Amino acid sequence: MLVVKVRNLNKSFGDLKVLDGFNLDVSKGEVLVIIGPSGSGKSTFLRCLNGLEITNSGSIEIMGIQVTGSRNRKHNLLKLRQHIGMVFQQFNLYPHLTVLQNVTLSPHIVMKRPIEKIQKEALSILSRVGLGDKIDVYPDTLSGGEAQRVAIARVMAMKPEIIMFDEPTSALDPEMISEVLNVMKKLAEEGTTMICVTHEMNFAKEVADRIIFIDDGKIVEENVPKLFFSSSKKERTKLFLSKILNS
Amino acid sequence: MEFNFREIIRYFPTLLLGIKMTLFISLVSGVFATIIGIFIALMRISKNKFLHYLAILYIEFIRGTPLMVQLLFMYFGIGLLINMSAMFAGILGLSIFSAAYIAEIIRAGIEAIPKGQIDAANSLAMNYFQIMRYIIMPQAIRITLPPVCSQFITLIKDSSLVSILAISELTYISRKIVTRNMCPFEIYAAVGFIYLFLTTTLSYFIRRLERRLKRVVSS
Repeated sequence: MLVVKVRNLNKSFGDLKVLDGFNLDVSKGEVLVIIGPSGSGKSTFLRCLNGLEITNSGSIEIMGIQVTGSRNRKHNLLKLRQHIGMVFQQFNLYPHLTVLQNVTLSPHIVMKRPIEKIQKEALSILSRVGLGDKIDVYPDTLSGGEAQRVAIARVMAMKPEIIMFDEPTSALDPEMISEVLNVMKKLAEEGTTMICVTHEMNFAKEVADRIIFIDDGKIVEENVPKLFFSSSKKERTKLFLSKILNS
Repeated sequence: MEFNFREIIRYFPTLLLGIKMTLFISLVSGVFATIIGIFIALMRISKNKFLHYLAILYIEFIRGTPLMVQLLFMYFGIGLLINMSAMFAGILGLSIFSAAYIAEIIRAGIEAIPKGQIDAANSLAMNYFQIMRYIIMPQAIRITLPPVCSQFITLIKDSSLVSILAISELTYISRKIVTRNMCPFEIYAAVGFIYLFLTTTLSYFIRRLERRLKRVVSS
């Protein structure tokens, strides 16, 4: 079953073409890893999927909801965003709320579910990501790895069908990267549909069902991890891989 | 010339009435200015071009003309169209004046909040009002509370200008006293010190508030 359908998507910032005729399908339960040089349009693509960026042309359909070019765009987006969560490079936790409040806010005010129930669920999610003892602290006392795990828990509490990760480990100190990747691996094992922009090639090898390489707003190559790393066909992909794997 | 301290003591009960009125006008104007200021700030950052430029027009107009002229226009000009008391005109004029400055403070506070906060809230399916209510405003208030309070100090001083509308606040009353006792040096010196006392007291509390907010934010 397809949960994401992108057809001929175009996006420009002024004269700069960021996404150029993008086509992509994602099936339920798939873990898709997107790699590519900086400025290639990876982040912008994710931000188009949940309507944080307005697209110029083409269509995006997620869980049967039309993201682009609809008259009910605002209404559709609010509905859509309950199905597709996003984890940001800079965590973007709410600094004025405790860890627990960060996690419970949206389920409470958006989905209007009873607070006791949400808190119970939030506690179990936070202990699953290893932060059961941090529920009452404020984000600025957390390490980067802890903050990112809270951000993931905050998305999980919405019970989305799809979770997008926008370079979730790029702002982290090296020793904290694995704690975040481990949480992501667990999510993948549980069958969550994931779309990850990342430079963690080991994660991609181990966890991804499919890897796509994009450059200049176009998909250059896509394949299952084994073949992608061993026998990429395009010169651009090889060049990028040799740079990133030898660094 | 000798400093006649007894004149100050003699008229102190009268001055006290003026202090009460000054505080009343400042307080009421402060509340209204804050409410209007929030709306103007939201209009100023709105994507709606009409609201955006209307807010800019308001702010530029108010900040670019003297408060004295605004008060005279309010009471004697607009007063011709709508019947209003001097007190009403004075408070309205002060509120509208202060709101322009408060709006700019609040706008700066809102714009100081990282864009990632709005991205996160949006991606978690909050609508505009929820984002304002739960994410932007709580953070903006922490940033803007101290400068808005400083604006209240200015408001206390500016409230002396409504004396031209014959409202019996501190400055107006002191002028009345001087015409009676012919002791301008003593009375105006006393009035100056009274204003100084009011403003320094307020700024003492603002400094305490600032320290408390800093603790809350960094804890």
